[in-house]
Amino acid sequence: MHIPDGYLGPYTCALFYAVMTPIWYRAFKWLKGLKPQQVPLLGVLTAFAFLVMMYNLPVPGGTTAHIVGGTIIAILIGPWAATVSLTIVLLIQALFFGDGGITTYAANVFNMGVVLPFVGYYTYRFLTKRVGLDEVVSAGVGAYVGIVTAATVAGTELGIQPHIQPGYCPYSLSVSVPAMAIAHILTAGPAAAVVTGAVVWYVRKSRPDLFEMRTILRTEG
Amino acid sequence: MDRLIKGLLTAIAVMAVLSPLGILLVWNSSGAWGEWDVSTIEHMVGQKLPGMEKLSSMWNHAVLPDYNVPGWNDMFHASAGYIISAVVGVSLVLGFYYAAVKLARG
Repeated sequence: MHIPDGYLGPYTCALFYAVMTPIWYRAFKWLKGLKPQQVPLLGVLTAFAFLVMMYNLPVPGGTTAHIVGGTIIAILIGPWAATVSLTIVLLIQALFFGDGGITTYAANVFNMGVVLPFVGYYTYRFLTKRVGLDEVVSAGVGAYVGIVTAATVAGTELGIQPHIQPGYCPYSLSVSVPAMAIAHILTAGPAAAVVTGAVVWYVRKSRPDLFEMRTILRTEG
Repeated sequence: MDRLIKGLLTAIAVMAVLSPLGILLVWNSSGAWGEWDVSTIEHMVGQKLPGMEKLSSMWNHAVLPDYNVPGWNDMFHASAGYIISAVVGVSLVLGFYYAAVKLARG
């Protein structure tokens, strides 16, 4: 899902830098208020997000996809925590590993660091709070919906590019959206569901207070 | 928090060591959709993409491009390069993270 330099034209890239500026400001303010005892947890989860993205999975048809880890962070700490994490991870990936791009950095953070964790998190909340579903199952469904939505948004950005300015991504929406969506519906989505469910199950077992605290806060709120 | 952090750190270490699975399982694939380099995609669509040609060379300073040591192309070397990338990447991520935390919290 890492859009490389050259796939989006200058106007599209500038638009996403403009969209991300207030979001980054808000995320930075959120980081200011991070509780000291949560600092190491967010650190290891950020490292975790970097590593899960190295696990490329085969997609039927010969391409690959990977999971992101954004919904895990959103559920365990909060969606803004995921924005902070993915802002750092995607920067490192672009600068040191040539994965993603500099011009497309803001668009990539928007897709994987904003759309993915917020959609994943609010799907999870809706399922636990309103539907009354188990946390592990809800986490899996949330991660699935989050990554498929983010991939569809990335496919939309790529597919709109030829209409904004030709000479960059040459594919139209009718090609890019299904290609991005199907890879994540079939491969990365199920993988994200299993991994996110497993991590939430493990965290609930080793640190049940993280979940009890949330439940209390929710009933009070 | 300690037990959870320890568990996650163990998971991170195991994932770094097993990371070559992330290339070996997809060794013969064409990579992620929409992430091909310029010459590949130009060949695929049979046309020149002048805008992409210009922007794609924007940043050529990746130290470990594609999570590998340049030139380590066979399966064994690429796997070693991938583990090196995992360790370097995790270190950089943690370094940048703590720098950001320090910057935000003063």
